[in-house]
Amino acid sequence: MAKPRLPSDLLPHALADGLVVLVLLIWWQAARHLPPIVLPSPWAVAVSMSDFVTDADLWRNVVATGLRVVVSVFAATIAGGGLAMLAHHVPILRDLILNRLQPLLGAMPSVGWAILGVIWFNVSDAAVVFIQTAILVPFCLVNISQGLRELDPELIEMGRSFTRARWLMFRTLTLPLLAPYIIAAIRLAYGVCWKIALVSELFGADTGLGYVMYQAQLVSDASMVLATSLVIVVLFLAGDALILRPLARLAAPPPS
Amino acid sequence: MTARTGGTPLMTRARAVGLAGSALAIALWWLVSLGVPSYLAPGPPLVAEKLWEFCTDPNLAIHVGASLAHVCIAVPIAVVLGSGLAILAHDCPVTHLMVHGRIAPFLNSFSSIGWTMLAILWIGLNGITVVFAITAIILPVSIVNIQVGLDTLDGELAEMGQSFGRRWRDNFFLLVLPALLPFMFAAIRISFGIAWKVALTAELFGGNSGLGFVVNLARQSFDTAQIFAVIAIIVLIAILSDNFVLAPLQARLSRQYADADG
Repeated sequence: MAKPRLPSDLLPHALADGLVVLVLLIWWQAARHLPPIVLPSPWAVAVSMSDFVTDADLWRNVVATGLRVVVSVFAATIAGGGLAMLAHHVPILRDLILNRLQPLLGAMPSVGWAILGVIWFNVSDAAVVFIQTAILVPFCLVNISQGLRELDPELIEMGRSFTRARWLMFRTLTLPLLAPYIIAAIRLAYGVCWKIALVSELFGADTGLGYVMYQAQLVSDASMVLATSLVIVVLFLAGDALILRPLARLAAPPPS
Repeated sequence: MTARTGGTPLMTRARAVGLAGSALAIALWWLVSLGVPSYLAPGPPLVAEKLWEFCTDPNLAIHVGASLAHVCIAVPIAVVLGSGLAILAHDCPVTHLMVHGRIAPFLNSFSSIGWTMLAILWIGLNGITVVFAITAIILPVSIVNIQVGLDTLDGELAEMGQSFGRRWRDNFFLLVLPALLPFMFAAIRISFGIAWKVALTAELFGGNSGLGFVVNLARQSFDTAQIFAVIAIIVLIAILSDNFVLAPLQARLSRQYADADG
């Protein structure tokens, strides 16, 4: 992120940030002529967003959603990675996992999982985590099996010539080679998870941002609906920039 | 891919295990459904019966058509808008940061429910809300896919085009657009898959027709079998349309262009 110095650098930034300012201006002008139920002013939305920081009750909801996201992403990576490993190392199961299970999971609509999750687990943390994990598993499965397919067979052969200990091979060879794909899977799952967190919590929880948004929608509090959506955008961007992108850089193979 | 070409015993055995595993899953589902009330897990026969109703009852079949219509309207709008933005970013480099640094990431991180809720407040409970929400959700997919296509455009080819004529329109329609077609199609294929799934969300909250609307009614009357049936229809149509319509079309398209190259 170099600071813009040259004029040729400045113009794209001016255009990009100009658009943001323009949208805010149009929004502000439009909001003056429209009832707040339809379009709240940017200021009202900003106030609603700041409530998320100052109001302890809203803060608890943010934390609840964040924790569920982390747990679901972790669970989905383990489950998706496990399935990918199984398909890779047990060829007889490959067709079942990659040609039957994966398309089925990939084609399942998230709302379908949401409703089933609530039917099976009632309204609870378990329901939300189940729903989110189920939605995320195919993303992790696809990414990690892609990584497994691209493992260098010569490297694996070399490893095998050094040791027959499978766990040692996995820890010192497979896992580091796979790390970029696992991190990519985690990043993708993390991004998807924030977006579907609202769906899963609308159905499956009585805390969290999805619940907050649902309550806001019930009383036609448009500024809260917008604020919740924007808080999610902010939280997603923050987590990606502060945790996942540095991790991805760490896991990237050294330039050869 | 290799599964189709190989006739090795391992492949046939893996096929058999795949089939047996699917059969086992259905058998297990059946067994479980016998032991628990039908609103928790309706058995395969009950769900099959509900599925059949979708074929015989025009009042239900019409909702399948409505969902398809929502998706088929939203996908072209998103692809055209997304292509427009990607081409703008490509042809006017100053706007690159605006499109790929502001618009696309914002659209990408805005949740589907957020769009649906806003559309309900702005437009009301109807088909336009559903189409708006779906379009907004799949728009970034098109932007990113078309951008990849534009980045791979052959610079020399474009230069040759420039040397033949300076008219932007001719260059665009004769050179850029044909080269972009495979990427546009990829965008359509991915968008259709996503749109078909999020249509359910959008219709459930913001629609007065479509499969999501059916699910909403079924949910209120604890008709889990109906919900299973709708999910089965969604999954079936997603897999069938991708395997038998979109994938062959895409293969044909890329073959046609591969031939043109060679």
